[in-house]
Amino acid sequence: MSYLSTTDFTEDQPFVDRFERMLRGDLDLSWLDAPRERVTCRPENARRGLTFRDLDVGSYGFTDMPELIRENRSFAPRGAAMPEGLPDLQAEVNRKSEVWAYNIEGYYEEAMTRQWNATTDIPWAELQSVELPEDIGKAYAQLLTFLTEVEMIATDVPAKWMGRLNADFFEVKNFIATQAMDEARHAEIFRKRALSTGWGLMRASAQNEFNLKFLRDADSFAEASLALHLQAEGMVLTLFRFSEYISPTEGDKKLFRLVMQDEARHVGYGMQHLKWVLDHFPERREAIHHHLDEAENFVFGGGYATEVLEPFIILSGKGLKKENIAEGVRITNAFQLKQADEYFERLAKCGLPERRERSRLWKMIDLRKQTMAA
Amino acid sequence: MPAVSAPPPLRFPSRDFFEALREAMRAERERFSRLGFFDTTFGVRISSDDGGEPAEFALRFEVFDCVGVESLAGVETDFVVEGPFAAWREMLDTIHALGAADTAHSLNTLTHFGEQLRVRYDDPDGHDKLYRFAESIQEFFDLSARLDFAYPDGSRPPAARAERQRSAR
Ligand SMILES: [Fe+2]
Repeated sequence: MSYLSTTDFTEDQPFVDRFERMLRGDLDLSWLDAPRERVTCRPENARRGLTFRDLDVGSYGFTDMPELIRENRSFAPRGAAMPEGLPDLQAEVNRKSEVWAYNIEGYYEEAMTRQWNATTDIPWAELQSVELPEDIGKAYAQLLTFLTEVEMIATDVPAKWMGRLNADFFEVKNFIATQAMDEARHAEIFRKRALSTGWGLMRASAQNEFNLKFLRDADSFAEASLALHLQAEGMVLTLFRFSEYISPTEGDKKLFRLVMQDEARHVGYGMQHLKWVLDHFPERREAIHHHLDEAENFVFGGGYATEVLEPFIILSGKGLKKENIAEGVRITNAFQLKQADEYFERLAKCGLPERRERSRLWKMIDLRKQTMAA
Repeated sequence: MPAVSAPPPLRFPSRDFFEALREAMRAERERFSRLGFFDTTFGVRISSDDGGEPAEFALRFEVFDCVGVESLAGVETDFVVEGPFAAWREMLDTIHALGAADTAHSLNTLTHFGEQLRVRYDDPDGHDKLYRFAESIQEFFDLSARLDFAYPDGSRPPAARAERQRSAR
């Protein structure tokens, strides 16, 4: 127990007296006069229901929130009256542009309505009826092992930061809560699918885990979000689309479409957040480049993760024969170039068009394109 | 007695075809509500085999419904899915025969490397909506299995197979 009350209430006579008076009906009622804003929020679109955007009014809203949250250091919900003596929770992030994103309230509502269930939304019985050939089955089980590993850390990262943000960033905290749930469901579904292939889990990947540790140990939320939402999840989104492309059954395709929806939403937050940062806190630009330098170093190092690359080659070439491998290498190469292209394209759209010029990863990719073209 | 002729089937591609999909979606409101908010406007472009003008439509989705089918010109879209008539036909034929796309004909698979269909976009954020709403979009196109339609040459998609065995590998 590190946080102790400065009062032992059972020994505090004035407190005990007041408590007894109240229970005899002698009420204080001062909270009735608390200075608060009276509002009646209604759904703008009845079919959509009452959304956070409908609640964006006056002191309850987010539009007029200041860049620096100096006033609320407590759990007071934004807009509530704050009496003297609320605790200072020492939130680690109190600057709006370090967490905010355009349309954050929309991403939250979308997340809430697009939740799905790994246990009941996948045609498990249909999947069970399809027996995969050994090479495909093992490669798929290895891919699923890697994805389970990734999704567990993807759950931990938002969960780690959620309680460290100032309570006024309510919409962001709620969005991050949906992300933690999404990622937990991803870890669940990949584990379930691996254990239903007939092969079970294959091998964990050291190279992959170095990258995951880098994501988990970011020094600030801004760094964590940049590396997780934009870079890692952006690349994983392309990877899910590729996984749908090479999936052996319709049930697996549906599985990847469902996880891709969630992932694309997280990437959406990452993009709208980076745009917000560059618009409202442009001094961050250099720090962003420095963090991306290291994030991209880890990504490039991920090329050593044989537990990831080889299953892709086998799955996309549809087997282990020489001609399958050759085809698999061709397709996997195309996938990796697409993955990098989309990543740099997103950064450019967010306001970092110079990233290509500055990135060593881009130079390596460019070199590879030239070698392939030659 | 004079034969009572059946109403002429829908044509693909046509605005009526997509209007019929919109109706089919409305009939499945429960299923689409379960999939969640679906807010995007995207285009479809079906280029003709003989080099004529492509058929182009904008499909507008809001909350849980398709709220509009318009001609594409001048409409701001998140992305446009385009491809030759033959590729669209192959997709629709498979859906009609099997009740839903098989592994080779899901929209993501057809567009992933731009081999059969391509996705055009200006803004990667708009492009990503193809993925944010992937399952809703797939199920929207899968509804075409229920439509009675014909292609410009009068031919029809294959009838639904009794044994809807979609394949592995
Ligand atoms: Fe995920």
